[in-house]
Amino acid sequence: MGNPALRTEAVWKVFHQEAEEVRAVRGVTLTIQPGEFVVLAGPSGSGKTTLLNLIGGLTRPTDGRVWVDGLELTRMGSRELARMRLEKLGFIFQSYNLLPVLSALENAEFPLLLRGMEREQRERRVRELFQRTGLAGLEHRRPGKLSGGQQQRVAVIRAVVGEPALVLADEPTANLDSAASDILLTVMEELNRDLGTTFIFATHDSRLMERSRRLIHLVDGQIVSDQWQESRREQ
Amino acid sequence: MSSKTAVIAKLALRNLRRQARRSLLTAASMIAGGALLIFSLILGDGTHEQWIDSAVRMADGHLAVQSVRFGDSRALKDRMPSEYRALVERALRQGGLPGDIYATVPRLSVTGMASSAAGARPVRILGVDPAVEAAFSVLDEKVRQGRYLQSGDRLAAFVGIGLLEALDLRLGSKFVLTAQDAGGEIAGQLVRVVGTFRTGIPEVDRSLLHIPLSTAGDWLGCSGDVTSIGLLLGNSQQVPQARSSLQQRLSRHPGSDELQVLSWRESLPELDAAVKIDDFSNYLFQGILFGIIALGIVNTVLMSVMYRRREFGVLQALGLTPGQSASLVLAEGLFLTVLSGTIGIALGLSVTWFLWGEGLDLSSMMDNEWTFSGVVMEPVVVPSFRVARMVQGLSFIFLIGMLASLYPALRALRIDVAETMKFER
Ligand SMILES: Nc1ncnc2c1ncn2[C@@H]1O[C@H](COP(=O)(O)OP(=O)(O)O)[C@@H](O)[C@H]1O
Ligand SMILES: [Mg+2]
Repeated sequence: MGNPALRTEAVWKVFHQEAEEVRAVRGVTLTIQPGEFVVLAGPSGSGKTTLLNLIGGLTRPTDGRVWVDGLELTRMGSRELARMRLEKLGFIFQSYNLLPVLSALENAEFPLLLRGMEREQRERRVRELFQRTGLAGLEHRRPGKLSGGQQQRVAVIRAVVGEPALVLADEPTANLDSAASDILLTVMEELNRDLGTTFIFATHDSRLMERSRRLIHLVDGQIVSDQWQESRREQ
Repeated sequence: MSSKTAVIAKLALRNLRRQARRSLLTAASMIAGGALLIFSLILGDGTHEQWIDSAVRMADGHLAVQSVRFGDSRALKDRMPSEYRALVERALRQGGLPGDIYATVPRLSVTGMASSAAGARPVRILGVDPAVEAAFSVLDEKVRQGRYLQSGDRLAAFVGIGLLEALDLRLGSKFVLTAQDAGGEIAGQLVRVVGTFRTGIPEVDRSLLHIPLSTAGDWLGCSGDVTSIGLLLGNSQQVPQARSSLQQRLSRHPGSDELQVLSWRESLPELDAAVKIDDFSNYLFQGILFGIIALGIVNTVLMSVMYRRREFGVLQALGLTPGQSASLVLAEGLFLTVLSGTIGIALGLSVTWFLWGEGLDLSSMMDNEWTFSGVVMEPVVVPSFRVARMVQGLSFIFLIGMLASLYPALRALRIDVAETMKFER
């Protein structure tokens, strides 16, 4: 078997806020294999975002090491990190963060554009994903003309389109109503099943936790439980 | 890498369009600035060209060939003997020199005294060839009484109005010139006033007079010799090239190291300085103006960076390096500046061309005759369109755009990605 999609080893992140020390992440050790769909659960302030930022190389750990697809992030400079993000990672944010000046299609194909992929190949891949996620026909709308759920699905396509080793989703449903949340989660699960995309999905929504196969609980920056459970989505 | 560059350029253009309203004010100031820049450069060049043209016509031309020692001594003994004069004239006749040579004037210049019954005055006597001198000098256009010299004149003198009055002369009066001749002896020559001129410059009107070159040669015992040969070119831009090729051509002949080719910058150092000072003050003014415009650009670009901090964070999350995401800022600033600056320059060019291409009449702004550095200014300035100025203007605008975008780009470079993602809601 190849590299794990993610490996962290005793990762710490300590913020210094005025006189206070905030230990946002405290010695997290974690391995995620390709194809997994992991829910990272925990109350607000438990360190989910900080952990995802550490994994994405957006924040440097105070201590410990992080590997994505076998590459050690903690040794990389900013250029290497950028390349790693382009080639190995996808991000989905709470507030969609599509580029407002690009159409839905242009947003979705952005990582491929950065990699210099041919237009035809790009469009074929993106249109197929639009079809699959129920966005067909909305390709040329600007983000401002899409609903929140639609925008977030475009963001999901943008995250998976480059076939990254790992997709990091930080509370992607927090701004959505329950119906849109359900659709989004279903879309992500299908992509996970059909394309084998590896997801880490941070949330504090207990409804969503139930639907995951692997559930990791984070409290005060520490993993308090890491369990495999019977997924109910097959029903 | 190049695919990223293309993406950045595309994003920059789209962003400018999105912020069209905010960009527009900045663009408008840049357009006005570009137009004013090119207008003032064109007009400045036109003005200087006119200064130079008037000045070199009063003096020794755009280029003057003379003996090396004459430059300092101004003495008759350091004149160009006739065989050197022939050498120079042959070199000029060969043709093929860069630039257009409008006139070639041989002159014999000497200082002496002019005396009549009323008294004596120090004068500068210029022996000239009337036929070619008329095409060269502006003096023949300043006739007050009588006429300018003509071919065939023998004992004729064309005299400044001030001198005429000082010596209590009239048209047709005779008076005597005395000067040191080629042999070092004092020699006298009787001449008759055939015409008078008024340049408006008192020193000139009081002390300058023209007599035929042949008369001067006979009188001073150096027939066929000259003190300088002046060249009038199409314009001052042709000077450096014409000078170096003439120098090169002369250098092939023995004895040529006795000769030098002087440009107007050397023979009229005050004019050279005046042109440079005027250019400098124009640059200074433009510098201040564009400094203000640049602050507007800095403000526009910086605001757009601050508004879009998260967007720059997203770009980095998607795989741009901090430098690449900052270069988006640079691209936006540069596009904005260069686009509007180019429009401004084009606008300034066409307005100047269509409204004042034939000349801009400033007489309403000049209450009196305006003299300067021995030159009387014409009230109509003819703009001078030069490609080098367009290139200069565009480069300057590019530089301003670059400088103005640099600080906002640095701010974008320092954005902490994790920080921009915080405060979600
Ligand atoms: N940049 C920062 N500076 C100081 N403290 C921070 C910073 N980012 C996060 N924290 C703190 O770290 C802890 C974990 O935050 P976060 O990772 O955002 O949790 P979650 O995403 O689970 O809500 C919180 O106490 C938060 O206040
Ligand atoms: Mg969070």
